[in-house]
Amino acid sequence: MKRKAWCGSADHPVSRRGFLGAAAAGTAFAADMTVLDALKQPALAEELKWQQKRVILLWLAGGASQLETWDPKPGVETGGPFRTIQTTVPGLHISELLPQQSERMQQTAVIRSLNTKIADHGGGYRLMETGRLPEPGVAFPHLGAILARELGRIDSHVPDHVSMYTSTEGRRKGTAGFLGARYNPMFLTENMMPENIRRLEAISEADHQDRAALRDFFAERFSRTVDSAAVASHGTAYERVRGLMASDRLFDISEEPQAMRDKYGPTQFGEQCLIARRLVEAGVPFVKVARAWWDSHGQNFETHRELCADLDHCMSALMDDLADRGLLENTLVITLGEFGRTPRINGSLGRDHFARAWSCTLTGCGIKGGAVYGKTDDKGETVVDGEIGAADLFATIFAAVGIDYEKEYMLGSRPIPIADFGATPVEEVLA
Amino acid sequence: MNSSLKLARADKWNQSDILFCVARPNDSDRLFVGSSDFGVYEFDLSAEKPERVRLEGEQHQSYVTGLAVAGPMLISGSYDGQLIWWDLAEQRSTRVVPAHDRWIRRVIASPDQTRIISVADDMLCKVWDVATGELLTQFSDHGEKTPHHYPSMLYAVAASPDGRFLATGDRVGHVAIWNADSYEKVGEVETPVMYTWDPRQRRHSIGGIRSLAFSADGTQLAVGGMGKVGNIDHLGGPSRLEVFEWSSGTRRFEVEDDKKKGLIEQIVWHPSGDWLLGAGGDHKGFLNIYDMHSGELVTQESSDGHVHGLVADAALENLVTAGHNRLERWTIAAG
Repeated sequence: MKRKAWCGSADHPVSRRGFLGAAAAGTAFAADMTVLDALKQPALAEELKWQQKRVILLWLAGGASQLETWDPKPGVETGGPFRTIQTTVPGLHISELLPQQSERMQQTAVIRSLNTKIADHGGGYRLMETGRLPEPGVAFPHLGAILARELGRIDSHVPDHVSMYTSTEGRRKGTAGFLGARYNPMFLTENMMPENIRRLEAISEADHQDRAALRDFFAERFSRTVDSAAVASHGTAYERVRGLMASDRLFDISEEPQAMRDKYGPTQFGEQCLIARRLVEAGVPFVKVARAWWDSHGQNFETHRELCADLDHCMSALMDDLADRGLLENTLVITLGEFGRTPRINGSLGRDHFARAWSCTLTGCGIKGGAVYGKTDDKGETVVDGEIGAADLFATIFAAVGIDYEKEYMLGSRPIPIADFGATPVEEVLA
Repeated sequence: MNSSLKLARADKWNQSDILFCVARPNDSDRLFVGSSDFGVYEFDLSAEKPERVRLEGEQHQSYVTGLAVAGPMLISGSYDGQLIWWDLAEQRSTRVVPAHDRWIRRVIASPDQTRIISVADDMLCKVWDVATGELLTQFSDHGEKTPHHYPSMLYAVAASPDGRFLATGDRVGHVAIWNADSYEKVGEVETPVMYTWDPRQRRHSIGGIRSLAFSADGTQLAVGGMGKVGNIDHLGGPSRLEVFEWSSGTRRFEVEDDKKKGLIEQIVWHPSGDWLLGAGGDHKGFLNIYDMHSGELVTQESSDGHVHGLVADAALENLVTAGHNRLERWTIAAG
C-alpha cells in the first residue's frame, strides 16, 4: 500500500511531536535559530510542509444528488432531465449544472462509488463525519477534530477547527469526542463573526495590553527558575487566547477588496467560502462550510438548479483563489454530504435518501486531478466497480494531506485507528 | 354556477414514465403526450386499450414539457431548449428549432393557430410562426435571478381566448400581461405568496407560478401555484389559486386548500366564466372546481399521481389528464 504520511523510519528521525516540542519550548519557535537550523534536515522540512496542509470541507447538508452533480446518467429512466457537459478532462462528463466546475476538473478527483448504506440524516451524518459506525461508550472524534489535531500546531494563534452552519435544518455542531475539547469546532451559526472572543468593553485596549505585558513579565521570570513543560504550556495557552481574540478580523470579509468579494458572489455560501480561504491562508488547518439543505424529496431538479448554481460558482471561486495564492497544492477541498439521492424519481419529481451508490470529490492537496474512481451501473442504482465506504474515504483524505491513516490513538489502553479498521485509501485518486 | 358539479374518473391507463404535457387536435380521439423518456407519443383513445406510438424522426434530448396543436402540426418543447414540429398525418418530425438557452417550460398555440408561444428558464417569451418556424419576436419582464441571487424560472404562459392578450408568470410570483399584436406590456399582477424562500431552515426556495388562464371574455386572469410551504423539502404547501381583474390589478379571489396539497399545474375556465378547473398535486394529484362567483372550492377529486398536463373539450365536460405514471380520462357533469 502506498503510504503518504511521514513514516517514522530511521530515515526520518525527527518526530513531529519532537519537532513541535522543540518549537514550543521557545517563546516563539521562529525566534529560536537552533530550530530554524533543524529545518535544514529533509525530514523536518517535510514535516513542516505537512504542518502547512489544510482542509476545507464543503458539506452538502441534506444529501446532494450524485445524478445532478458528479455522476450523471443522461437518457435513462433514472437520469432526470439534465444533460452532461464535457470537462477539461477527456472522457469525463459531469452534470450541466456545474459548468464552471467542468472547466476545472483537471484539479479534482471524483469518487463515484461510495456505498455507505445508512440513509437517514442522523445516521448518515455520524458515519460521514466520523468515518465509522458509532459504538456505545465511545465518543469518536469528527473529521475536523482529527485534522485539527493532526495538522494544527500547538503554538498556533488561530483556531484549529472552524465550522460554519447557518441553516437550522440538520445543523449539528460536531465534536472532538475523546480527543478533548481543545479540538472542538469554533462553531458559527447565527452570524459569521465568532462570539465571546472580543475584549470586554469594560477593559480598554491599553489595559488589555498592559495586563498581558505584566503577565508575560512574571511568567518569563518564573520560567527562568522553574524548568517545567506545564509552565511552558500555560504560557502557550495565553498566547493562543490572545491569538484567537485577534483572529476575529479573519472573519471580516469587508477587509477584502470588492473585486474579490464579487468573485465569490453575493450569496451567503459565497461569503462563507471567502472566509474559509481567509482562514486557511492564516493557518487554520480545518474549515467546514455547510451548505444546507439539499434534501430534495420534492422538486429535486429545481432544487439542484438553484443549489448547484451556488455550489458551482462558489467552489470555483474558492479553487481559483486558493490556486492564485499558491494555497491549493497544500489545501484539500472536499465536497461531501451524509448520502446521495435515489435514482428513482418520485411523484413529486423528487429524489429520496440514497446511500448505496453516490459520489464525492477531492480537490487540491495530494490529489490526482482529473481522476475518476469507481463506477455505478447504467441507472446509478448500484456500485459496479471500486466500492468504498466511509472509512476508506477517511483513509484517502488522511493520506492526501500526509497523515498516516493507520495511526492509532489510545483511548485508555484501547488503540483506535484514526481511519477505521480495514480502511484502505483510494490510491487511484492520490497524487 | 351549478354547485353540484360532479367530477368522475372514466378511465385510467398506467404508464411507466412521467407524462408532462398533453395535446389533442379538435376534440378528436387522437391524443399526444410528452414524456420523461424524451419522446412524444400518440394514443388512440377510441381503442379499447389504447396503445402508445412514438412519433418518429428527430427526437428531443430531455423531458418533453410542452405540446401544442396548430392545424396539421404538433409542436413540442423540451428541457433541451428545442422546439420540434411534428406532422400529425405522417407522425414524424419535420423541423427542429433551437429555441431557448434553457429549459422550455410551456408551449401554447395562439387561438388562431398561426403562432406558437414558448416560455423558458432563459426568462424569455418567444413567438414563432407556425408555418415557417421563424422567430417573430421575443420579450420578457422577468428577472434572471431571484431576489436571493439564484436562477429564476419562467413557468407559465397563456393566451386569451380572443387572441388579444398573452400572460407570462415566473418563479417569484410576477405576472406580465402583453398585447398579443404589439407585444407591449399592458399590465402586471403580483402573487408573491406563491414563491416560498426559506432563509433560515433550508436556505433555498420552492414554488412559483405554474399555471395561467384567461377567462372567456379575457378580463380575468387566474393564476395557479402553491401557497407558503413550511418544509420546502416537499410539495407540502396548500394549493393556491388567485384570480384577478387584470386590467385594474384587482385581486378577486385567493383560494388555498390544505386537504390536497401541492402545485396547481393547469387551469381551464368554463366558457360561461361561472367556474374553473384547476389540477396538479404533490406526490399525489388533485382536480379542483372553483366557483368564480363565490371564489370557493366546490368540488374536488384525487388522482393517484401528480397531474402535470390537461386537455379538455370546449364545453369542459370531458378531459384527459397526464401525469406521474398515468393518463386518466375524466368527466364533469351536473350531479
